[in-house]
Amino acid sequence: MTPTEALPLLVVVTLLVASSGVAVDQMTVTYTGDHAVDGREDVSVVAGGTVTVPADTTVQSQVYVVGGTLTVAGTVTGDVTVLGGNLTVADTGAITGTLETLAGTTDVADGAAIGERTRLPVTEPAAGPFGQYGALVFQILTLGLAAWILARRRPTFLENVARTATAHPVVTGVVGALAGLTLLVLFVYMAFTLLLLPVSILGLLGELAVVFYAYVAFGHRIGTHLPTAHTGLAAVLGVTGFLLALELLGRIPLLGAVVQIAVVAIGFGAVLLTFFGLREFHPATIPQ
Amino acid sequence: MQFTTYLRDRAWTPLLGYGLFIALMVAGYYYNITFVQLGLIDLGTRLVGLSAAAVSMWMAALALLTLVAAVITGVVMDRRGWGTDLYLKLRLLWLVVALQFVLTLWAPGIRSVPAFGAWIVLGGLGLGVGFPVSFSLAADLIPVPDRGPVAAVATAVTYFAANAYPLDWSIKVFSDVLLVAMLPGLLVLGVLAAGRIDCLDRVVTQLGTQHQRFGRGRFCHPTPVRTRSLAFLVPLVLMFGVFFVDSLGFLRIIDTPALVLSSWQSPELSTRLGIAVAHVLGAAIAGILYVNFDLEWVFVWIFALFALTHILYTTDLRIAELLPGFAGGNSPLNAAMYAVAVSFYTTLNFALWPDLATTDTIGTHTAIGVGVAGWLATFLSTAVALFLQQAEVTLLTHLNLVNALALLLLFGLIAGLYVQRLLAVAREAPTP
Repeated sequence: MTPTEALPLLVVVTLLVASSGVAVDQMTVTYTGDHAVDGREDVSVVAGGTVTVPADTTVQSQVYVVGGTLTVAGTVTGDVTVLGGNLTVADTGAITGTLETLAGTTDVADGAAIGERTRLPVTEPAAGPFGQYGALVFQILTLGLAAWILARRRPTFLENVARTATAHPVVTGVVGALAGLTLLVLFVYMAFTLLLLPVSILGLLGELAVVFYAYVAFGHRIGTHLPTAHTGLAAVLGVTGFLLALELLGRIPLLGAVVQIAVVAIGFGAVLLTFFGLREFHPATIPQ
Repeated sequence: MQFTTYLRDRAWTPLLGYGLFIALMVAGYYYNITFVQLGLIDLGTRLVGLSAAAVSMWMAALALLTLVAAVITGVVMDRRGWGTDLYLKLRLLWLVVALQFVLTLWAPGIRSVPAFGAWIVLGGLGLGVGFPVSFSLAADLIPVPDRGPVAAVATAVTYFAANAYPLDWSIKVFSDVLLVAMLPGLLVLGVLAAGRIDCLDRVVTQLGTQHQRFGRGRFCHPTPVRTRSLAFLVPLVLMFGVFFVDSLGFLRIIDTPALVLSSWQSPELSTRLGIAVAHVLGAAIAGILYVNFDLEWVFVWIFALFALTHILYTTDLRIAELLPGFAGGNSPLNAAMYAVAVSFYTTLNFALWPDLATTDTIGTHTAIGVGVAGWLATFLSTAVALFLQQAEVTLLTHLNLVNALALLLLFGLIAGLYVQRLLAVAREAPTP
């Protein structure tokens, strides 16, 4: 497991530990090698290597497994949470608290004593239409409302974005893909610092807002071709049509996803290049 | 693009010009990034028995010598009006390729320091004459609107070949491969430069007249860019910064087995192919941005990409330092980002200098541009890298320094652009 792969799980553990009221600096983290644990520790995190609770030993601790292997042959008087890696509870082993498995592998022998055992339930999508299309309906409602307001108050903003996207799809697509990806990487790495986690979340939400702004602009453009004189209504219908078309595209294997990504990249680039529609984008002129 | 017009009109002679320019650029750059940058280190350390520091000093000497030879060649070219004489340029290039062929043949047999030194002197001379002459061919062969895409193609082909089919970094392997590649090139260039075959003579003569339309670079309108003007010096300083940042970081990365064996020298084909594809993507993006945006925004992107790349590298190192159990893991994303950044600025380097020149200044401008930004930056970054190595600076501190430099250049450039805009607005504002 590389640092990049391990870090998100450690971030999750740190947040869980912090929320449980235990000081984070009292965590004992194992990264490598073989270790036998005894005595009392507030929180133990197995991030790599092998950790064993020997038989006839009692450990008073919350234990998190994010990588490596934890073998419990003795007793753990606390909760054990498995986020990754492997947990083995031998016949002689006991966990008095809750054993919670979110991911990774958990192997509990028949003779082992477990206080309570929970597993992350694999939830099937709700069978009803709202369960299936609830997110889409929510998007249509919120973006439709945004389109209604912007189409009536600032139609030129939306026109500039859509015109730039259709006139310069390659440039907007390239800028959108490059900016979107580099910002995504930057925000994810910001999250790893913990200190910049709020900035990272805000940044990711900002990226999402840019994409939705582009959706509104595309929807507005579609709306201008509809046979209705009411600009607000046309924009709402356009956004609805656009989102439905995007949803249907997703049903086409591979090609649908490629087209969806291209649309998002073009929209993202168009919004950035037009400064949210404040002005139309004009490429640099090269003298012949 | 002019290219599509030529293709539609089946204008084969101008199209041949594109092919010739791309082939020369790819061959020259491939020779530079493999044989010169990697092969000579192997020759000096393994076969001649010099220390890594001594070889680095010789490499720095090669860079300086190349710069001097290039500037002399460029100035002579412009003063004598060679910038518009395609035949002369092809003949000069043939001589350079012939010299490099002999030097490439000789290199694996070198075992002594004086012979190594002689190779460096002759090699520097060949490179110094070669690059202003080859870059100046853009004025004869490539229409101004197409220079970005053509530069992108040259960059993509070079780096794809170098990464998808990586050779063992040894002088013998590089020598064998390049000798096979140079032989037909030498022959074709010789036939073209000789002008003895009528149909080819007509082709070269026609190509030789194209400078009248293509000769004035993109940034030389309405007035040509002067060598001492800010319009030339600012891109020169920025390109120097780009080369310096890249070279200073890369010198340490290739010196760290954990980093290089998990990326550029990985035994996994998929990893190398990923880097090769990243190079192609980077070049394509740069080609598109170069055509559609003003120069300063292309520079902003380059520094941003380098800063982000080094943030990725240093973050991995910091985590590995914090969590020693994970040490040794290196995300393939880092090398891919590095590849995008390198392709980005290489594309710019191919297109920029001819676009900052006319046929009267193309020799001097390409010589100073590539010489100072490329070779002098390499010389200085090698010296700094050596100093840091002798000071036993850790990998993290070294890359942190490079990262700081990239960030400084990025924010310096953005601040400079803002101040420039501010001054323009202030000038436009009505006086009370």
